[in-house]
Amino acid sequence: MEGQIIANAFHHAYWGFPIATYFWLVGASAGSFVISTLGWVFGIKKYKSTAFFASNMAIALLLIVPIILIIDLGKPFRFFHLLMLPSFSHWSAPMMWGSLFILSYPIGMMFYSYFVYKKNEKWARILGILAVVLALCTHWYTGVVIQLNPSRIPNHASVAPILFLTGAYVSGIGLLNICLWIRNYFVGPDSQVSTGLIADMARLMLYGIVFDLFLLWNEFLQMTYGFGEEYTMLYDVLLGVFRWPYFYLEIVWGLLFPLIILVIPKINRQLPWLLLASFMCATGVYGMRIWWVMANFYYQGHY
Amino acid sequence: MGERVYGFNGVSPSAGKPGRKRFAMVIDLRRCTGCNACTASCKTAYDVPLGASRIWLMEAETGEFPNTKRNVLPRLCNQCDHPTCVRNCPTKATFKHPDGYVLQRYNRCIGCRTCMVACPYNARHFLPEYRRDARNPRNVADKCDFCIVRVTRGLAPICVTSCTGGAIIFGDMNDPESEVSRTFLDNKTFTLRPEMGNAPQVFYIGLNEKIADPEFAFHHRSKQLHRRYNTFKRNSEVGGEMAGNIIDTDMGLVGLIRQGLNNFRTFFKDAPHKIFRGLF
Ligand code: SF4
Ligand code: SF4
Repeated sequence: MEGQIIANAFHHAYWGFPIATYFWLVGASAGSFVISTLGWVFGIKKYKSTAFFASNMAIALLLIVPIILIIDLGKPFRFFHLLMLPSFSHWSAPMMWGSLFILSYPIGMMFYSYFVYKKNEKWARILGILAVVLALCTHWYTGVVIQLNPSRIPNHASVAPILFLTGAYVSGIGLLNICLWIRNYFVGPDSQVSTGLIADMARLMLYGIVFDLFLLWNEFLQMTYGFGEEYTMLYDVLLGVFRWPYFYLEIVWGLLFPLIILVIPKINRQLPWLLLASFMCATGVYGMRIWWVMANFYYQGHY
Repeated sequence: MGERVYGFNGVSPSAGKPGRKRFAMVIDLRRCTGCNACTASCKTAYDVPLGASRIWLMEAETGEFPNTKRNVLPRLCNQCDHPTCVRNCPTKATFKHPDGYVLQRYNRCIGCRTCMVACPYNARHFLPEYRRDARNPRNVADKCDFCIVRVTRGLAPICVTSCTGGAIIFGDMNDPESEVSRTFLDNKTFTLRPEMGNAPQVFYIGLNEKIADPEFAFHHRSKQLHRRYNTFKRNSEVGGEMAGNIIDTDMGLVGLIRQGLNNFRTFFKDAPHKIFRGLF
């Protein structure tokens, strides 16, 4: 050893599990809303039956978000500082864009839900397009908030928002599948969702999983050929402190197992397996949110 | 004082303009003895809470016996010219003053801690709920401000005044005759993490590349320091606001779940204090 640090100030991690949970909730909301718009906006007829429920689920998930975010502020009552346009708003801060997205996205969704309920094709389509853009933006900005900090490896990569969005898509469908299955016990037979539809949504989820794995592979490649801090991070997430959230929870439990389940021909249309895969995806993405938020604070805490 | 610049407007208008103030600091590490007088005086002057510092000292031992050396590195906010903290603050609560300071407006800060995430130097800290003096700001971000209250009254920052080795040199970079300008021009200086693009305005003479490297600090911390850090995290009172403190000796599945639940416990425990304090 050529030396060691023997004294230093200790630094706290600045964000923690509540913020990771918030990322997960926003993601699941955006993911399920994208599914909700498949029928009414993109014209895939078979998904029309799920639209109303999926949109309402997205709204419900998004209602928890401001509570977590506002309580997490040091001064909860000052949250309105974010909305005081234009005097207080600092437009170079992604947090500023996000607070506008978080505000407008549920409103857009509510209007969309209303027109879906009224079966108004034209307005459902218009507001659906608007709300789905807002949904993507809302989740995109969470990736950007984390991305635009030059010192935070591995977050400071242009792949960050896309990884966030893919995770959102996967976890949103996973959660939606489970909720639809639970809903089947409470509604009449004519509005129940068939196993075939759940299998079709799981197929959409499969595409997301493959894309997520591809992005993570790219991130992994970059870290392998990277500089010292990236090696440190690579070690931490594969073998070190963050192996549980990253390797076991996200990669193995959240992506690889569901991938295997969904590519085996027979069982990828059987309800218990589909639900298991959905559950794995939805929970596995939480692991990604944990390490993505906290890993960089952990190893830079000594500096 | 010049006009105040809120938000991120690139380099402040006073950079390199004679007649305008441009405060910066040169720290001569050859003269620093590691006595911690700067840390102590700053803590006292600003009532900096336990567990946080506006200026602190990193110490490292390098080399193999008999060729060993103890390196010290006073660390503080670098009053960057391209401050990422300012760029990422959503409410303009932190801003770059044309005279060089990066300042904090406590009455505007919402305590979202984005600035802390954005700062590559860990130079910011969070003021806890309970302060020694109840009139002091709490639950907002804070940082070193180059002692603007002293400097505008013609005094040097308190770390400079108290430095026993005369290692910290502070002054106006726009004045070519000032001590800080002459020291800066006569010596080879280094800044911390220049690759971050923050253009730090605290310059070091004789900086050891190891102690300046966060990765080195992570891999080569002494066992005792590592243990003490984990104890600090375990016993920290700051709770919910700082909920991401990971204790690395306990990161199996059970430990992870336990830490997550603990996090949420403190998060919800602190919520009523943050929301209702001041109401009744
Ligand atoms: S050192 Fe950190 S807190 Fe200070 S100005 Fe630079 S980015 Fe901001
Ligand atoms: S904690 Fe305060 S100073 Fe920091 S980014 Fe948030 S509002 Fe700005």
